[in-house]
Amino acid sequence: MGSLEIDSLDKSYGAAKVLKDINIEIEEGGFLVLVGPSGCGKSTLLNSIAGLEDITGGEIRIAGKKVNDLAPADRDIAMVFQSYALYPNMTVRGNIAFGMEIRKIPKAERDEAVHRVATLLQIEDLLDRKPSQLSGGQRQRVAMGRALVREPQVFLFDEPLSNLDAKLRVDMRTEIKKLHQRLGATIVYVTHDQIEAMTLATKIAVLKGGVLQQAGTPAEIYNNPVNTFVAEFMGSPSMNLIPAQAGQGPNGPTLSIARKAGDPLVLPAPEAVAAYAGRGVLLGLRPEAITDEEAADRNARVVETASCRIDVLEPSGADTYCTTDLGGKDVIGRLRADAPIRQGEDATLAFNLDKAVIFDPDSGERIA
Amino acid sequence: MTAKGRLGALLPKLILSPSFVIVLIFVYGFIAYTLYLSFTASTMLPNYDLVGLRNYERLWQLPHWWLAVKNLAIFGTLYIVVSCALGLFLAILLDQKIRGEGMLRPIYLYPMALSFIVTGTAWKWFLDPGIGIENTMQQWGWDSFQFGWIKDRTMAIYCVAIAAIWQSSGFVMAMFLAGLRGVDGEIIKAARIDGASTVTTYRRIIIPMMRPVFLSAFVVLAHLAIKSYDLVVALTGGGPGQATELPATFMYSYTFSRSQMGVGAASAIVMMMMVFAIIVPYIYAETKREPGQ
Amino acid sequence: MSARTESRPDGGRVLRALLYAALILFAIYYLLPLYVMLANSVKPLEEIRQGNMMALPQVLTFEPWAQAWSEAKVGVAATGLKPYFWNSIKMVVPAVIIVTILGALNGYVLTKYTFRGANILFGMMLLGCFIPFQIALIPAARVLGFLGIAGTTWGLVLVHTAYGLGFATLFFRNYYAAFPTELIRAARIDGAGFFTIFFRILLPSSGPIIVVTVIWLFTNIWNDFLFGVSFGDFDSQPMTVALNNLVSSSGGVKEYNVHFAGAILAALPTLIVYIVSGRYFVRGLMSGAVKG
Repeated sequence: MGSLEIDSLDKSYGAAKVLKDINIEIEEGGFLVLVGPSGCGKSTLLNSIAGLEDITGGEIRIAGKKVNDLAPADRDIAMVFQSYALYPNMTVRGNIAFGMEIRKIPKAERDEAVHRVATLLQIEDLLDRKPSQLSGGQRQRVAMGRALVREPQVFLFDEPLSNLDAKLRVDMRTEIKKLHQRLGATIVYVTHDQIEAMTLATKIAVLKGGVLQQAGTPAEIYNNPVNTFVAEFMGSPSMNLIPAQAGQGPNGPTLSIARKAGDPLVLPAPEAVAAYAGRGVLLGLRPEAITDEEAADRNARVVETASCRIDVLEPSGADTYCTTDLGGKDVIGRLRADAPIRQGEDATLAFNLDKAVIFDPDSGERIA
Repeated sequence: MTAKGRLGALLPKLILSPSFVIVLIFVYGFIAYTLYLSFTASTMLPNYDLVGLRNYERLWQLPHWWLAVKNLAIFGTLYIVVSCALGLFLAILLDQKIRGEGMLRPIYLYPMALSFIVTGTAWKWFLDPGIGIENTMQQWGWDSFQFGWIKDRTMAIYCVAIAAIWQSSGFVMAMFLAGLRGVDGEIIKAARIDGASTVTTYRRIIIPMMRPVFLSAFVVLAHLAIKSYDLVVALTGGGPGQATELPATFMYSYTFSRSQMGVGAASAIVMMMMVFAIIVPYIYAETKREPGQ
Repeated sequence: MSARTESRPDGGRVLRALLYAALILFAIYYLLPLYVMLANSVKPLEEIRQGNMMALPQVLTFEPWAQAWSEAKVGVAATGLKPYFWNSIKMVVPAVIIVTILGALNGYVLTKYTFRGANILFGMMLLGCFIPFQIALIPAARVLGFLGIAGTTWGLVLVHTAYGLGFATLFFRNYYAAFPTELIRAARIDGAGFFTIFFRILLPSSGPIIVVTVIWLFTNIWNDFLFGVSFGDFDSQPMTVALNNLVSSSGGVKEYNVHFAGAILAALPTLIVYIVSGRYFVRGLMSGAVKG
């Protein structure tokens, strides 16, 4: 297993730049997840690492070795594809052994490697079947087996779970995580599913329009997004971005938020907001930071309460989501399932301002 | 593709090159050569003295050529229109959840497997008044029955059309049937819920959706019509007289039997222009459509 | 398409009867010429002259078939169609093999290893399918003469190769375009090169399109008349040309029964191919036309 470093990588098709100055690294045994909306360049980045696409500028190093000019087969990587890409005319055994066959590894050694991987993935009894005789989940395992048998420096996964149904997806997600822990493999994983990203990654890289927005641990990305794009992209329901007016109160900077009925809601704000006094900002609060009073985090330093009109209640079993109008936008809060709050009535909500992040509304960049 | 040595990048082009060279010579080289000949005084053998547009002027002054073009217009129009109409009609009939469709379809289609020479031989005889359909009807007691078109200068070209339609309409049927089967069943359900009858559903919704099939059928049939040579040779030999000459037979006889190669070449070029006028827009659209990578 | 048929009981039944009547009538229309050829090819000439072409033979004879095959006068020599049948086979088989291999490789390159300008090359090859062959007659005669293969089977193979390439390439290109590119990528990561991918990954999945292409080429080349009559001589003229010579040989008594037996003999290979693999035949015609 080895590390992966990407230095100022550029990629363009003719005049169109699809990846701009990408810098990411992942240490040996790390799990890097590339996320972003479709067309953000995450798959292109993965294909560039694999060597399936040429890069225009920059450098890619695998285990410290520059691989820019190496063919995919010589980069010591393995890849699991979205469609699994199993060779339809070969058996499962043939699929897993094909790469070794090309590399002219003796038959006995091949058989042993296939057997080892098949045991690991519990697909021993499928070895003589053709891909068309397998279920989606089984194909997925075979595709992973083909990658595992290679024992590469880096594993590349291209949205490997997106063709599975919801239940199987969750199971396979857990399985991939277990495999990662057991093998200590270095993995680069592309997905557009932010839950997959959060659960699997040791490091997340968020891309948009070919530009790396932020790279960091899942907690960093979730709690400290650098801009409104990352804030809204990660988390479900996504972070509330509440339009507010920055001001200066007797005890320091304040944020004033318009309510449908009654006076504006005035909340204390961090010092950095002082520079924005008299201007609009966006207050970012995740739904779990807006709760009923009893559910408020007792360890939080700053919790403000305010009465809000509850427009919609959506019970989801464990929690109930509520919608209220703040600053002219629908804001979602997360209540205990049995909170005594009713739709269409006023209720007291608690705002955990420890978790608040504040953005410039024009640039979308983080202020505080 | 990663730079995997120059050979790796060159290989695909290398693979393509023999085919491309053959096509370059046999299609484009030959077009150029024939084009050149059409401007020369070639008679029995090629001759490289340029005579400008004289061959084309001669060509368009020849009543024989005019007859061939007129015949092509009659034959082509009938062939395309009737084949399409018949093909669509048969396809719609077959699309009514017919029992035994699997048996009927190949019966309608098999003539396409035959050579035009075979078709021509069969129909030549079938249309012959002495022994064919006329004779049969009279023997069956319909004494006044007459069908001597193939011996009739004005009607013989319709015989060519009849035989050609017999050969190709089943194929057009198959194209339409594939088109009909491709129509989304929910659209038909929606039309029925809107209260449309079967006839209305076909007329207003399904047949208009067959536009791409009409286009494909037109392209295929039109270029077959312009190239038609074997059928005329086998069915009528261009006769009676010159009554069923088409540009393709005209070209052959002027080039090889009448030793007027320059005029023959000019007629081939005119035929090519006709085909290209139909086919080039079609191919342009085809290559624009990226293969689904 | 489901649920199209009306379920009104009485009017519906009459309509369905009419429907079937129409379908059967058309079936007769398409079958009639074949029936007439077949029935009259086993009648003595006398019976044809005096009888009715629709009638079943009263005296069954296979003499016309034997004559057409090995005795009848074709052109000048009384050889029957036999030598020409072999001429056709010797021409069709190599041409089909060569064109299929080239078409498959071309389709592979054009979909999976595209390069700048590949689409233009393909367009140029495709246009070659449609040119009126009259344009090629004069120059092809000279090129074949120059190569020293005028009047030979190999000359005809070359000509058919040239004009079959466009369609074969089109078939394989359209087929391989739908072949998942991820599989090619997986194979490249596994270390497979250009030819390994072609032979190990692509070709084993190409069965259907190979069948379609072979049928298409076989029928087209077997049925060709123009090139055969222009560039063939006794040692290379194909069946279609011989049949035409047999039928139109002037002078003497017109031996219709022999002509019909000959026509069926000439049609037999393509008819057999059609009967054995009709489904693929349709698909081949369709992919040449509708998809093309």
